[in-house]
Amino acid sequence: MKRKLFALLSLLVLASMALAACGGAPEATEEAPEATEAPATEAPAATEEAASDFEGKSLMAADCDSTGIIKGVEATGEHEVTFTLCQPDPAFLSKIAFSVYGIYPEEWLEATAGEEGRTSEGLEKPIGTGPYMVSEWSRGESITFTANPAYWGEAPSAETLVFRWSTESAARLLELQSGTVDAIDNVGPEDFETVSGDSSLALMERPALNTFYLAMTNTFAPFDNQAVRQAIAKGVDRQRIVDTFYPPGSEVASHFTPCAIPNACEGDPWYEFDPEAARAELAAAGFPDGFSTKIYYRDVVRGYLPQVSNVAQDIQAQLKENLNIDAEIVVMESGAFIEASSAGSLDGFYLLGWGADFPHVTNFLDYHFGAANPQFGDQSPTYTEILAQAAQIADVAEAAPLYAEANNAIREYVPMIPVAHGGSGTAWRADVTNPQASPLSNEVFHVTDPGGRDVFVWMQNAEPISMFCADETDGESLRACEQIVEALYSYEVNGTAVQPALAESCEPNDTLDTWVCTLRQGVTFHDGTTFDANDVVATFTMGLDASSPLHKGNTGVFEYYDYLWGLMNKPAE
Amino acid sequence: MSNQETKIAQLDAEGLTLKSVSLWQIAWRRLFRRRSAVVGMFILAALTFIALAAPWLAPYSFDEVLIGVEDVKAREKPCIHLFGCEQEKPQHLAGIDGNVRDQYSRLLYGARLSLMVGFSTVTFAIIVGTSLGALAGYFGGWWDNIIMRFMDVLLAFPSLLLAIAIVTFLGPGLINALLAIGIVSIPAYARVMRASVLTVREMEYVSATRALGGSNMQILFQRILPNALTPLIVQGTLGIASAILDAAALSFLGLGAQPPTPEWGSMLGAERNQVFTAPHLVFYPGFMIMLTVLAFNLIGDGLRDAFDPRLAHAS
Repeated sequence: MKRKLFALLSLLVLASMALAACGGAPEATEEAPEATEAPATEAPAATEEAASDFEGKSLMAADCDSTGIIKGVEATGEHEVTFTLCQPDPAFLSKIAFSVYGIYPEEWLEATAGEEGRTSEGLEKPIGTGPYMVSEWSRGESITFTANPAYWGEAPSAETLVFRWSTESAARLLELQSGTVDAIDNVGPEDFETVSGDSSLALMERPALNTFYLAMTNTFAPFDNQAVRQAIAKGVDRQRIVDTFYPPGSEVASHFTPCAIPNACEGDPWYEFDPEAARAELAAAGFPDGFSTKIYYRDVVRGYLPQVSNVAQDIQAQLKENLNIDAEIVVMESGAFIEASSAGSLDGFYLLGWGADFPHVTNFLDYHFGAANPQFGDQSPTYTEILAQAAQIADVAEAAPLYAEANNAIREYVPMIPVAHGGSGTAWRADVTNPQASPLSNEVFHVTDPGGRDVFVWMQNAEPISMFCADETDGESLRACEQIVEALYSYEVNGTAVQPALAESCEPNDTLDTWVCTLRQGVTFHDGTTFDANDVVATFTMGLDASSPLHKGNTGVFEYYDYLWGLMNKPAE
Repeated sequence: MSNQETKIAQLDAEGLTLKSVSLWQIAWRRLFRRRSAVVGMFILAALTFIALAAPWLAPYSFDEVLIGVEDVKAREKPCIHLFGCEQEKPQHLAGIDGNVRDQYSRLLYGARLSLMVGFSTVTFAIIVGTSLGALAGYFGGWWDNIIMRFMDVLLAFPSLLLAIAIVTFLGPGLINALLAIGIVSIPAYARVMRASVLTVREMEYVSATRALGGSNMQILFQRILPNALTPLIVQGTLGIASAILDAAALSFLGLGAQPPTPEWGSMLGAERNQVFTAPHLVFYPGFMIMLTVLAFNLIGDGLRDAFDPRLAHAS
């Protein structure tokens, strides 16, 4: 019985492979020889010939009303892609390097699109160009990757890469100490000393490129009153929270965006802690005896919030002590919490934070304080308009006064209280070379050599949700994808600066609204197909074009494509 | 040893010759003869005292944050002057918790909650469970079928899992957790009660009451219930122990008492990650839970033996 089933399965697999091969074959066979010939023969003629044979596809919105920032993505040559934008985007390179925009092979995108959503093959075994390929994902336990022998860049040091996870920092450290894993993410704040005191371990402090904020949804009373929000902003001792609950390297947030990012800290710093003034203001706003509310949070440790429950309890105690506000603590399941908070339906305080996806001020401010984001209730035009204006200026100095104005308007309106930029850390066995603690939390493991061992084991906080990261937002998922899939640009190891990856370069025109990317040649995907401009077009069609049959993901929301670029042909709501 | 035995024999002899001794008195005496039960009662008495006198015994309030008040750090080790801690440092018998509060004070206040949890859930379960069991046993027929099959359904779930499901449905919180544990423990009492009623209801004195024109309620509450009480007491005492344990488990999972309530289970759960760096924060609440559950188990075992006529001569 079993054998029969297996035979049937393998037959099906073979059939589907044959189908996929037939679909993709003409293009692949035609291009491959030319690409390899190109350097040998006379260069200009070869590329011209290739260009004439190559049938470039394109994704083009009818007009700028039916799309977001990207108007079109066009394969203008076999190895050239032109992005046409509806508005100048100074952060284009920072954004395009984000792993969510990793490039998938066109045929594979079509094959795994599925009826309702991406097929499980598509969600669990993505095909990319990266240094590692997924070999097995045993749900709930671990993910095993094997090295990609045809990787175009520096070959991976370890043949096998394993991802494991544990939500408990004590458990992670124990595994590291016993040598069953080579590196762990998010060392518990109380374990920093233990790790740095142990000569067999190496501690890497991750720069604080994140923000923890105490949010209030202003569509619910009494948070609809700006004076109440301002009083609360003055009545919370943020220094005390950072001193007591954050690891070394953390700092009190003076602005929403961490100051390491250009233009982040223009404008006045946040309110000083002043309980008397806060109480007086709250009384003047009509609440001399405080009020009752709730504090919502999810019990999930992130770099911006290393001790969730303790911070929540301290805020609860502070609200009671300084403002006589009775806040009941409500712990929610992570998914439900994110859903409710981003829809703006939590009727009290909530604790949430943000880690930088790409190191640009727009990633912090535009995401949270755009007019369309309901997570704090109604956004004020005093800053949404300035932010939209500032997002069109590439020059840092030129945009500075606008960001000062926007930061001051946010400070005035108090949609939330920025509390801390939390430092965090990774710990590595001392014999591992090139240990990382990326400010963007996107450690890449092909550059680390685990002391000559064949297997490198990484332990993080949680299991990836899926590995089709075009439609994921969770950092734990993205890190897994970053080993497999590459985008046109990438971030430096351990840094925030961008460097070319699948593109050799992307050059803007003078008005910053057209970017021409020259692609790397001779790159192959894990399934052997050759990377070309059509794969880029197909990937962006999959992510951006809501009307495309390729637009299938895990949840189908494509949050990052939507927030950073804006979806094309969005169905009317 | 022999001295003691003769004393008891004398006492017994006196009891037999001088006045009649009720079943309760015999049970009571037998209970005191069991050393483990006495230890259990001693612990329980101490816990009750702590619970009642917590505001006077505790040096701090359970929710008093000591940041800026004293020079202490979060999760500082216990400082006991008697054991060599510097005199200048403020004394904290069980250390400082993750939110810079005095752990010792929180432990003392926690006794209130645990005892309250134990008694209230079991009281609730006994009231509902015995009523249902008595109805089922006394009236029989389809009453019996409906009630007891429903109890079977409740029993079919692992109790903690069912409690988690109920709390998830009602929303986390101490009251909801109590309700959930109460509901989960109903079947045990319903079964015990039904079994007792079934044996007692055919007794001659019940028939006599019925012949004299006693109403169903009279028979049930005045004749049958008092005679079915002993197994309930034993079951109830042991039930308190498991109720406390269940409540601690729910709080540990974040479904029971919500912060800053000093519930032992939630204190344990909140600091579970610090088991190596700050063991005192995990050890003490765990120890208190263990002690309380042990006390009730010892008393329960003692009571069972004391009430069991078959063991009368064994001791």
